[in-house]
Amino acid sequence: MARFRKNGSRIVEVDLAGESVKSLAGAMIAYEGEISFKKAGFGGGEGIRGAIKRKATGESLDLMECTGTGTVYFAHDATEIELVPLASETLQVESSSLLALDSGLKTNVTFTGLRGASAGQGLFTTTVSGNGVVAVLSDGPAISLEVAPQYPLVVDPDAYVASKGQLTQSFVTDVSWRSAIGKGSGEAFSLRFDGSGVVLIQPAER
Amino acid sequence: MPGYVQVNSKVVQVPVAPGREVLARRGAMLAYTGQVTFRPVTAAQGISGMLGRVVAGETVKQMVAEGSGQVFYGHLGLHLTVIDLTPGESLQVEADRLLCHDASLTSSVHFLGQQGGIRGAVRGAVSGQGLFTTQLAGDGSAVVLAHGGAIGLQVTPGRVVAVDPQAYVGHRGQLSVDVTAKVGWREAVGRGSGEAIQLRVQGQGVVYVQASEQKF
Repeated sequence: MARFRKNGSRIVEVDLAGESVKSLAGAMIAYEGEISFKKAGFGGGEGIRGAIKRKATGESLDLMECTGTGTVYFAHDATEIELVPLASETLQVESSSLLALDSGLKTNVTFTGLRGASAGQGLFTTTVSGNGVVAVLSDGPAISLEVAPQYPLVVDPDAYVASKGQLTQSFVTDVSWRSAIGKGSGEAFSLRFDGSGVVLIQPAER
Repeated sequence: MPGYVQVNSKVVQVPVAPGREVLARRGAMLAYTGQVTFRPVTAAQGISGMLGRVVAGETVKQMVAEGSGQVFYGHLGLHLTVIDLTPGESLQVEADRLLCHDASLTSSVHFLGQQGGIRGAVRGAVSGQGLFTTQLAGDGSAVVLAHGGAIGLQVTPGRVVAVDPQAYVGHRGQLSVDVTAKVGWREAVGRGSGEAIQLRVQGQGVVYVQASEQKF
């Protein structure tokens, strides 16, 4: 399996020994050894159905496949990187926050409910599942917040990056006459997580 | 010549003394202490040097700091890397990414894809990658800018490093840099991986790469 390692907080190094890793197209900044880059298959390797789903949902995912022997360095726009290991788990992540993932992991588009409507992120999100490591981008250092059945978590949809575990999402609105006349606090829409798992948020609002 | 102090990742403090002037990107001074004056300069390497710069489009306006005191430099909140050069060593850096350096260093314009000859030059121009660099040589320090910080990758014979031209910051040592274009039918039909043009760096030295593909 490809080995992921951070170099500083903004660069991720991936060692390959004949395997491949999928990454955001164009995110390679340097490499050593013999590596070839190829646009990941139609729909990022999700097949024709996956590709149509992405087109239809607007959760576009522009991935390339890097194969060979050596080390590849990935970075994107000087944003911080978080490595999330998955062990037969599923990670929900915004497609715009995905930097690189083990090629053994499966990506898919799922319906997330009403969350996206306010955040302008669409009603769909990308899920990554299987065994391997995912490198997630966050604007500023990300923090992970634990969610337990007795401690539900509410986050700003614009600061939400990814979530993992047995979580259910719901949408919280706090729209009052203040928001209606433009005097709202700016926090009218929030995202609530119940269950148990981890939510990753970034210190910036998209 | 040591003496460059990094105040934080984005600000550098540089000592200036008579006989130890500092050249910097015009407008990059943040603050200074002591008696320091700033005078605009045009890169004075004779007519041919000037011509080279104009042709190469490497015309970042510079200023010289004279007097005695301490000057603080920074630019656009970009991360800085201080590189100390020893006599006999040379550093090549894109002029856009050079913040300041000791005036004792000699600078000249170089073209990165020399090895590729005319074809390399054409390729560089076509790809829109500014591959003309400023070469600094001598005894002194230089400060380079990088979006998101730069990392130095060691290059040794037998360990070739390929770099994205947009992430390339500079390199030092005995290195040759080639522009390689792997343009296939995939690029032609718009299904390229986005990594068609690469810089292949080989020899002995260090190549600096930034954590972003943004030019400034």
